[in-house]
Amino acid sequence: MDFALNDEQQMLSDSVARFVQSEYGFEARTRLVVAGEGGSPANWRTFAENGWLAAAFPDEFGGFGGGAIENAVIAEQFGRGLVIESWLGCAVLAAQTLAASGDAASKAEWLPSLADGSRRLALAWSEPESRGVPHIVGTRATGQAGGYRLSGRKTLVLGGCGADALLVSARSEGAIGDRAGIGLFLVEAGAAGLSVLPAPLHDGSLAATVILNDAPARMVAGDGLAALEHGIAHAMLALSAELVGAMGQSIEITADYVRTRKQFGVTIGSFQSLQHRLADMAAEMELARSMLFAALAAFENDDAATRRVAIAGAKAFVTEAARNVCGQGIQLHGGIGMTDECAIGHYFKRAIVADALFGTRSVHAAACAEALAADLDTQGGAEGVSGKEEREFA
Amino acid sequence: MDFHPDPELEAFREEVRTFLREKLPADLAHLSIGMFSPGEAIRRWQKILHDHGWAAPSWGKQHGGTGWSVEQKLIFDEECVVAGAPTQDGFGQNLLGPVLNEFATPEQWQAHVPPTLRGERLWCQGFSEPGSGSDLASLRTRAERRGGNYVVNGQKIWTSYAHRADWIFLLVRTDPEAKKQAGISFLLADMKTPGITVRPIISIDGHHHLNEVFFDEVEVPAGNLIGAEGMGWGITKFLLNNEHATTADLPNLKMLLRKMKELAIERRIGTTRLIDRSEVALQIAAFDTELRAMAMMVSRTAAMHGDQGHFAHAFGSMLKIRATDLQQRMSVFVVELLGDGGAAAAPAPGAEYSAEMFFRRAATIYGGSSEVQRGIVAKLMFGL
Repeated sequence: MDFALNDEQQMLSDSVARFVQSEYGFEARTRLVVAGEGGSPANWRTFAENGWLAAAFPDEFGGFGGGAIENAVIAEQFGRGLVIESWLGCAVLAAQTLAASGDAASKAEWLPSLADGSRRLALAWSEPESRGVPHIVGTRATGQAGGYRLSGRKTLVLGGCGADALLVSARSEGAIGDRAGIGLFLVEAGAAGLSVLPAPLHDGSLAATVILNDAPARMVAGDGLAALEHGIAHAMLALSAELVGAMGQSIEITADYVRTRKQFGVTIGSFQSLQHRLADMAAEMELARSMLFAALAAFENDDAATRRVAIAGAKAFVTEAARNVCGQGIQLHGGIGMTDECAIGHYFKRAIVADALFGTRSVHAAACAEALAADLDTQGGAEGVSGKEEREFA
Repeated sequence: MDFHPDPELEAFREEVRTFLREKLPADLAHLSIGMFSPGEAIRRWQKILHDHGWAAPSWGKQHGGTGWSVEQKLIFDEECVVAGAPTQDGFGQNLLGPVLNEFATPEQWQAHVPPTLRGERLWCQGFSEPGSGSDLASLRTRAERRGGNYVVNGQKIWTSYAHRADWIFLLVRTDPEAKKQAGISFLLADMKTPGITVRPIISIDGHHHLNEVFFDEVEVPAGNLIGAEGMGWGITKFLLNNEHATTADLPNLKMLLRKMKELAIERRIGTTRLIDRSEVALQIAAFDTELRAMAMMVSRTAAMHGDQGHFAHAFGSMLKIRATDLQQRMSVFVVELLGDGGAAAAPAPGAEYSAEMFFRRAATIYGGSSEVQRGIVAKLMFGL
């Protein structure tokens, strides 16, 4: 293992950091939020020109051959600036799901244009009842002559507004929670029976609610659940990295504030209660970063079951850390932290939105608990846990 | 950044397992209570490690260590805990050893390190005094140069395992005129020297780990001064920096998780196993997750060794804050899983789990309390 960025990763990190610094000051960001369009096309072109849209694509599709680590490097810097463009939804979630779908024709058709930014794809997978569980799918796919028709309702579709097409999970057979029978389908923007409704989120970014009413679609994968889970795993890792960046920046903003704000004739940073709070925030952020590293390691090295638990656990852990750290950021600012024109509160808003994306903390905590109980059962009791000698001791 | 494991690590793990299977005597296994194993177990085990060439798993080869990578050391620790091997003498291995490797003269090194590595010399640490806890630099134990000796007078307290140690490394004030830190020196003393008295302190776990150590006109040869007079504080900062990855006590955290899983399978509420209760499974899974993060944080800390920058130092403090907090929460939950047995002072094993939990209250106090660590982080990271 090597925890330091290599030369290429360092260059990538530096270039994204420079962009955030020059283009994503709090005022510039506020203008983008107020415009209500989920970011600017100019920024998206910058992402494309710098290769940030395709850092984790294979070379053959115009990518740079990196992986989840490269996406994490980009995401951390985006998190520092609270970038609102739907890089996470389009360049990570939708693109990685499509790339994992195994449909060569669709990949050849879409990935190069996603990489160069000429087209955008969004993934519509979540539904009001799915709560972070990708195989809870009520949307129906019906085979027709020449294609499929989809009907259902999708929520929190990241990058759905303005996407050229939607990649939609839909069920061609089985009941709502079955793992079998879930396909992935492409629905072109503007298709009959497709409504894409803007859904502004607390953090100023723009998602969509998608209503499918017998909308025409093309099948990308008949059995698409594994690809979907892979894409969501990628997105959870990138989101965790983004939150590490958001925590880092909110700690810096807060430290700057307590160094300058005066009360009782002294800077409030001279008070031990505030110093210790900041130290705890820093420790929490570094433990969350360690959690991210552990999840990235599991993603690269471990079997599917171990990965799933590691990434679910990480998502729950990092999100909880972000809610704590960014919430404390508001607290240390006092009243000014409550105002919309102060940056700190917006980091907390992002942490709240992040918890709702891809399943909340409690959902992932429960998944980890279930996996643990199942794991202990298959190990055949305590001997599998600790060995015989230790049982005698116990 | 690259998270692929070294492909040779699994072979190394196998090598460690084979060694433990073949060389760990049955009567030495599963004796650990609290921080260290019984003294005689440590000595015998250290001799076995020494004969195998593994006397100092965290030292470089140039100092007589194994020269293992951080990952190898973590694997070694983990397998030793699983096999129930005795601990090593952490004071000699992790605190004094690196100091001697860095600051001792060749003669001093030769006099102290080889016997330590052979298991013939156990150490204790004489730092804290009744009036000097977190404010260590206010220490008053006096060492006066008289001819070829330093004559030591004063008192140390909270001296873990002084009752079985052969030698002590201690901080003394050699120059009472100099400002606080500047007058402190670092001495080694044989515990059999006339004038040293050890008095036990029984801690809240009911065991004898801690002591008071009194020095009354104790003559220590001047050759036992490490570094120059007045260098003691600098050496101490070096030593404490080495301590952080160890105070996380990752092997113990893993042991606590195993105990939880074991209890959750074996114990029942009514006819339901504890693991089948959601409140139990959720809590253990959350510890499992946090421990994965902690293990990675330990690896990150260990990878920073040699880097004496501010960030590395602050990072060590952050690790200590979080790891010791986790030790306490996990050991408390183990006791919670005992149900009624969690209240009982006897019999074992439940009472031993409780003793372990009581002992862990010291973790956020020793080696610089969590409050001191937070102060260090605030100063180094934020200039506050």
